[in-house]
Amino acid sequence: MRRWAAKIRERLEELRGSDQLLLVLSLVIGALVGLVVVAFILLTGRLAARMYPAGGSGWRRVLVPVLGSLSTGYLLWRYFPFARGSGIPQTKFALFVNDGRISIRTVFGKFFCCSASLATGIALGREGPSVQVGAGIASVVARNLGLNARQVKALVPVGCAAALAAAFNTPIAAVLFSLEEIMGDLHASVLGSVVLSSATSWMVLHLVLGDDPLFHVPGYQLVHPAEFGVYAVLGIIGGLGSVAFVKLLLGLRAWFLRQAKSTVWAQPIAGGAAVGIMGFFVPEVMGVGYNNVDKVLNGNAVLKMVVIFAVLKIIATAVCYASGNAGGIFGPALFIGAMMGASVGSVAHTLFPHYTAGPGAYALVGMGTAFAGIVRTPLTSVIMIFEVTRDYNIIVPLMISNLIAFFISYRLQHEPIYEALAHQDGVHLPTAQSRAGDERIQVRQAMRAAPPVLHPDEEIGMALNQVRDGLFDAWPVAGKEGLWGMVKSADLERAAATVPHETLAKMLGSQDPGAPPDAEQLPHVHPDHSLSLALERMGATGLNALPVVSRGNVRELMGIVLLGDILGAYGLGKPGTGKIDAEEVDKE
Amino acid sequence: MLPSATGGQFLRTLSLVALAIAVTFAVDTFLAKMEQSETRVEAARLYAQGRQLLAQGRYAEAADSLQDALTIQRNNRDYELALAQAQLGQGQLADAAATLDRLLTADSTNGPANLNMARVLVKQGKTSQAISYYHRAVYGSWPDDATGSRLNTRFELIDLLAQQNSKEELLGELLAVEDQFPHDLPTRLRMGQLFLQAGSASRAAVVFQQILKEHPENAAAYSGLGESEFAQADYRAAANDFSLVLRLNPQDHAAARLDLCERVLALDPTRRGLDPAERFRRSHALLEMTLNAVQPCSSSELVDQARKALDAKVTSARRDARAEADLDLAEELWQARAPGCGVPPQDPLVLVLTRAAK
Repeated sequence: MRRWAAKIRERLEELRGSDQLLLVLSLVIGALVGLVVVAFILLTGRLAARMYPAGGSGWRRVLVPVLGSLSTGYLLWRYFPFARGSGIPQTKFALFVNDGRISIRTVFGKFFCCSASLATGIALGREGPSVQVGAGIASVVARNLGLNARQVKALVPVGCAAALAAAFNTPIAAVLFSLEEIMGDLHASVLGSVVLSSATSWMVLHLVLGDDPLFHVPGYQLVHPAEFGVYAVLGIIGGLGSVAFVKLLLGLRAWFLRQAKSTVWAQPIAGGAAVGIMGFFVPEVMGVGYNNVDKVLNGNAVLKMVVIFAVLKIIATAVCYASGNAGGIFGPALFIGAMMGASVGSVAHTLFPHYTAGPGAYALVGMGTAFAGIVRTPLTSVIMIFEVTRDYNIIVPLMISNLIAFFISYRLQHEPIYEALAHQDGVHLPTAQSRAGDERIQVRQAMRAAPPVLHPDEEIGMALNQVRDGLFDAWPVAGKEGLWGMVKSADLERAAATVPHETLAKMLGSQDPGAPPDAEQLPHVHPDHSLSLALERMGATGLNALPVVSRGNVRELMGIVLLGDILGAYGLGKPGTGKIDAEEVDKE
Repeated sequence: MLPSATGGQFLRTLSLVALAIAVTFAVDTFLAKMEQSETRVEAARLYAQGRQLLAQGRYAEAADSLQDALTIQRNNRDYELALAQAQLGQGQLADAAATLDRLLTADSTNGPANLNMARVLVKQGKTSQAISYYHRAVYGSWPDDATGSRLNTRFELIDLLAQQNSKEELLGELLAVEDQFPHDLPTRLRMGQLFLQAGSASRAAVVFQQILKEHPENAAAYSGLGESEFAQADYRAAANDFSLVLRLNPQDHAAARLDLCERVLALDPTRRGLDPAERFRRSHALLEMTLNAVQPCSSSELVDQARKALDAKVTSARRDARAEADLDLAEELWQARAPGCGVPPQDPLVLVLTRAAK
């Protein structure tokens, strides 16, 4: 037994130091987050069933949300200030500003306050909070395992993906959302870990709750090519509706933020009262409302009612969120979209019954449209609707409608909702555009012609004489095989004092005098690399000059990039002379 | 890049995570079971409420309740079936058909689903498809009281066939269930009427006679028997039965039928026991009535021939032969008339000529 324990300990110690640690942790976090999110969903559902027993009086629908928002509002203000709102901006804040730190207190606060809040009928969603809970669990586990900041940050999107996969039952969309919205980079290096955790979480969800999609939708398809026009109209209406929702929410939130700090604990009551009064007359406005979405998706849509549902939900969600209740806007976005879609579909089907599908098909597309318009993640929204409904036939109309809504939303509300919410809190998160801007400046814009190269067979002393008066503090060493590596002037000076007759090849660590060192160890950049990457590599290698090599042959030296030239490209200094024109590099 | 925590802390954290996974799994399982049982109860409540509303004919409300029940407990066939019934009651035929289609895709032998699909198709005017679904319902599986349900389905089909006046199919269905008919009086009376409608007057007569053996004072049975005999051109027996009906129930509509029978009997020259003079008089009158009825739509040659026969003077010795000739000529005139020409089918003239032709 002891031997076994020792073996396990030994293995774990090996694992701690290995690259596979993140992958293993992705599986573990995926399972844990999946289970926690399932508990969150189930607990919220059971609490809601007790708050609103069958045949309960209408007054209950007014009192429960008011009391719920009062109690959770106080708890959030007093104990869990970082658990207010959706959870997405908070997660991004933790990721980009706080080294991936989310406290265990925030995780507990989000879990219980949000569960209570949603159970009382507050018109917000459970997915955003799940994402923060998932990210928080990943952060807490990673930090307690003693991982460094980079590893903690790498595991935050892993937790997000696991949470969303379990909350929405959409593993692929969860991966995309984590990359598209949370990371803002679809090519992020954590892709493998994110996929693993999402899949694990989804498996856990199925293990506990079985294989049941979030919505059951009959097979819809395009009835007539002319229907594309109607879907385009839906895209326009969805886009305008999304903008109206976002502007109303941001406007109300700005108003609440201007109120006295002493009222913060009581502000959520405004949301509870608003949803309570609306819910007294129209109970469908309360809570997440997925049951009603399911009905509409199955074609049970009365035009007047779905229009009322859409309008009231926009108001209710905006007030609930802006006043500081805990809950997200994913679910409401789907609800609003489904109702807007059903409205458009009902009108179209009444006017052109032979050329259009029923309102259910439009409700389905409307869900994705509103999601693309409000959350601004068009790719995620298309995949998510596909996964939620498992209906492939509606994908093309969905794409058309989504892109129109996205475009309108982008034009009329330039700032995406999560960035705007962070701005209101005085937090300036890096946007996708700003990150893309950094990436836009490439090595080719700062590189210069390669200096004379040193030969690997050259003796250190001779080489030092050759470079003594040079401008650079590191020099390329190249033979007939191509680039061997870089030697620093300082290293040459040190080596010349002790072993002046040794060759540069030996200094570069070549075992065989005729063969250059392994190409994997060659410090380099490519012309299309970003300058930020070049800076990172300079930092990692300790070189102020990096060889720029061809992508086709890593030993083919194309030029050299200097630290001073990079700073010059950013406007921090004067770039040196001898810079190569980017077009010339392209020609080469 | 290596973790900064000690090995012990690393292992402790991993152990805690494993423990958290185990505890959360147990909590999830508990909550999931609780949810399952609670939602099942809620769904059953909504279903019961929906059934109640359905029975009260409040179809829209019933559909709402049943839809809610179905949203909670998807794929429950009882809920889906009840929802289809509510949609059918509301007149939402396409929705009902879609709901039933889902049910039948899952189980094509579902008797109640097939029956309801048949009802939907009947309302959509697709009778031939409906008949096929009725047959599937008859041979399908039923959750309880399969025999009674199948018989009721057959009755419904029989009613449809009777409405459609599909005599052969109706008779086929009646013969298939003849032995299974319940022996209560209303059902047997109905069965007799249906045989009559299916064109099997002799079987109908047997049914009514059996009823009369047990219920000799039953006016409806006498009326049915009278109609059966009337259909078999036994006007005397029919008149007798209609008289009995009127004796038992003076308000019955049998008076008109009795009057018709008496008019037929008074006109019929083929009746037994007539003396030659009376027989000739009736044949002569029949020819005259036939000529008046078909004159505008018959060939002039036959019309002239009939006129001549009517104008001819007949000696008492030739009355028998003339009576026969007049009857033949009347039949010939009737047969030769243009289609649709003449008098209504229930006119005594038509009945007598039909009987004479037989």
